[in-house]
Amino acid sequence: MGDQPTFSLHIDQNKFLSTDGREVHAILTIGSTGAVTTTSATPAEAAEVIIVDTSGSMSGGKIREARQAAATAVQSLRDGVFFAVVSGTDTARVIYPHGRQLVRASRATRTEAQNAIGRLSANGGTSIGQWLLLAADLLAAHPNAIRHAILMTDGQNNERADVFAAALARCEGAFVCDSLGVGADWAPGELRKVAEALLGTFDFVRNQGDLADFFRKITQTSMSKTLAELVMRVWVPQTATLKFVKQVSPTLLDLTGKRTDVNPLTGDYPTGSWGAEEREYHLCVEVPPGQVGSEIRAGWVKLLRPDTQEVLASGNVLAQWTDDLAASTQINRKVAHYTGQAELHELIQDGLSARAAGQVEVATARLAKARQLATESGRSDTARLLDKVVEVDPHSGTARLRRGVDKADEIELDTGSVRTSRLRKDGEGS
Amino acid sequence: MNCPVCEAPVLAGDSFCEACGQRLDAPACAGCGAPAVDADGYCERCGLRQPTGRDHAEIELAGGAAGVTDKGLRRARNEDAMALLSTGTATVAVVCDGVGSSPRADEASAVAVETAAAALARGASAVEAFELAGHAVTKLASSVEHAPACTYVSAVVTGGEITISWAGDTRAYWLPAGEPLTTDDTRRVVEPLTTDDTRPVGAPPAATGAEPTGEQLTEDDAAPTGEITAWLGADAGDVEPRVRTLAPAGPGLLLVCSDGLWRYLAGYAFPRSGTPLEMARAMLRHALDSGGQDNVTIVLIPLGGPHG
Repeated sequence: MGDQPTFSLHIDQNKFLSTDGREVHAILTIGSTGAVTTTSATPAEAAEVIIVDTSGSMSGGKIREARQAAATAVQSLRDGVFFAVVSGTDTARVIYPHGRQLVRASRATRTEAQNAIGRLSANGGTSIGQWLLLAADLLAAHPNAIRHAILMTDGQNNERADVFAAALARCEGAFVCDSLGVGADWAPGELRKVAEALLGTFDFVRNQGDLADFFRKITQTSMSKTLAELVMRVWVPQTATLKFVKQVSPTLLDLTGKRTDVNPLTGDYPTGSWGAEEREYHLCVEVPPGQVGSEIRAGWVKLLRPDTQEVLASGNVLAQWTDDLAASTQINRKVAHYTGQAELHELIQDGLSARAAGQVEVATARLAKARQLATESGRSDTARLLDKVVEVDPHSGTARLRRGVDKADEIELDTGSVRTSRLRKDGEGS
Repeated sequence: MNCPVCEAPVLAGDSFCEACGQRLDAPACAGCGAPAVDADGYCERCGLRQPTGRDHAEIELAGGAAGVTDKGLRRARNEDAMALLSTGTATVAVVCDGVGSSPRADEASAVAVETAAAALARGASAVEAFELAGHAVTKLASSVEHAPACTYVSAVVTGGEITISWAGDTRAYWLPAGEPLTTDDTRRVVEPLTTDDTRPVGAPPAATGAEPTGEQLTEDDAAPTGEITAWLGADAGDVEPRVRTLAPAGPGLLLVCSDGLWRYLAGYAFPRSGTPLEMARAMLRHALDSGGQDNVTIVLIPLGGPHG
């Protein structure tokens, strides 16, 4: 808990470029272990806001499950964690504690919070941006804490797109938010925006009864974080361009647009809070043409604590020009794997959008290709979901869209496509 | 004046950029010239990995003898190695070229020149020095299948006498002073000091027809296909070095070089002025300008005349 994790940064790449090669790809594996105990083992301060959708659509069984889930989340908070519970409709309201500040978790406050949660009822609209802005306000009082929110909704956001976008922009960097969609009426696109802006996950809770489990798991994961915020600082040569920086494992998350310039050659990319875990990132650098035999550092990556500027791990992405085609044409296995995973995600997203827009041919082609990729890369769950949307004749290979697709299957496919498989030792996905 | 990294204006003499904190007194980059080479040897502006000691090195002895070794333009690292030292009475030079198809060939050449030069300097015979170097290279091997290997040429110059010893296709030439060592019009073909076991091979020069200027003192141990037939290493079998002793009639320069230079010697006019180091640099420039396909090592030892 109070252990300062130790970090390792490993780079997988093929550094060899052909004489006209311009793109350098690398997969960064960043692992942390909390195994090292420091003598000054003070637990990292944590601040948690639990946001429950209490709009009208939640009435009936759903609000009961939501109350149960929120109570479970509160129960999972360890002593001393600052927390609040927010009820969300077209406005946001702190239902516990009283007033606009967080309170420390204890046996007493947890019980009071659970009582307040028990009185939640459902009515009104849905303004997710408002809920997040309130969470940002509450968490702002704890700038050094590991700041986290958990958000649950069952409906579509009633806010104007620009209002929602502005709210997300204001919250960016202020806290990490994991969100959950319940039932078949919510729009994955909206929670995806929350996850992308606030570096969190978003999940589909297919069965209401599982909601409490999801809340417990997310709260526990959040409690296991020991470092509030780390940035990935990436330098590239003056004549090079950093084309993209993406988290590729456990989920796909494009960080390219989240750059903060340090100087013209160096930028910081946020990675959120860290516990004992492993994540992988895909970097692509476009380099100027080079001379055969010469080697450059095409990227210099540091994992950095922004508060202390302490570098926790670093590594070099290299490029070396060669006229040996056997060397330059080899694609690193990890790079190939995650390029495939990103392509699978895009095929599913494009396919589902085309399907929704009635573009049958595009949808069929994309989803059939996705099904093939999913099978090849060991994503059997994804392949199974794709099977429910698209039917591929095993003999002729011809594909057609299925009719009467269960909305829940579609949402599960949509939300699950950001989750990637890991590369097994034998080269197949797992 | 601007910071090499963030372009903010900086004052001459400042140690750090006030805008970004970049060091301003770092060594200059061999590629872009920015004073931005970091402790890891990369330029913090253009990224170029700086040449290491092995990539380009020069030696110059008090007597004028000099050596240059360079990675060349097409190889990832320098697997040539050279040693050049003076014992007071003798000048000792050893050049080895790691066999490209063997593992850790750079270690083989490094240990061979170090071992042989030390032996020769303490008075060991050419054959003894060769054998010691051979043992040292053999010891690097984890098995016969994974045997680091290198070619070998040594030269000991004592007074006016030269003793050379070699295995493989690393060569020695005698370049007499005062003669116009250009090519075509002078009929005086200057041969390598080393002689070829089979026949001169090793690539371009033979094909062009023009003979290099200078007397080749060594012969390559090489098959017509260009593969060498003798080398140092655990997989080399019983290799006997070939030894030749000569006493040139007049002053001149002894050139010991790897194939990274001699492959480009056909039709080449050797430099006739400057110190041996300057001449060695000029020869290196010629090899690089000609393509720099391989590592290049050049050692020049003056005999007699103004340098001797």
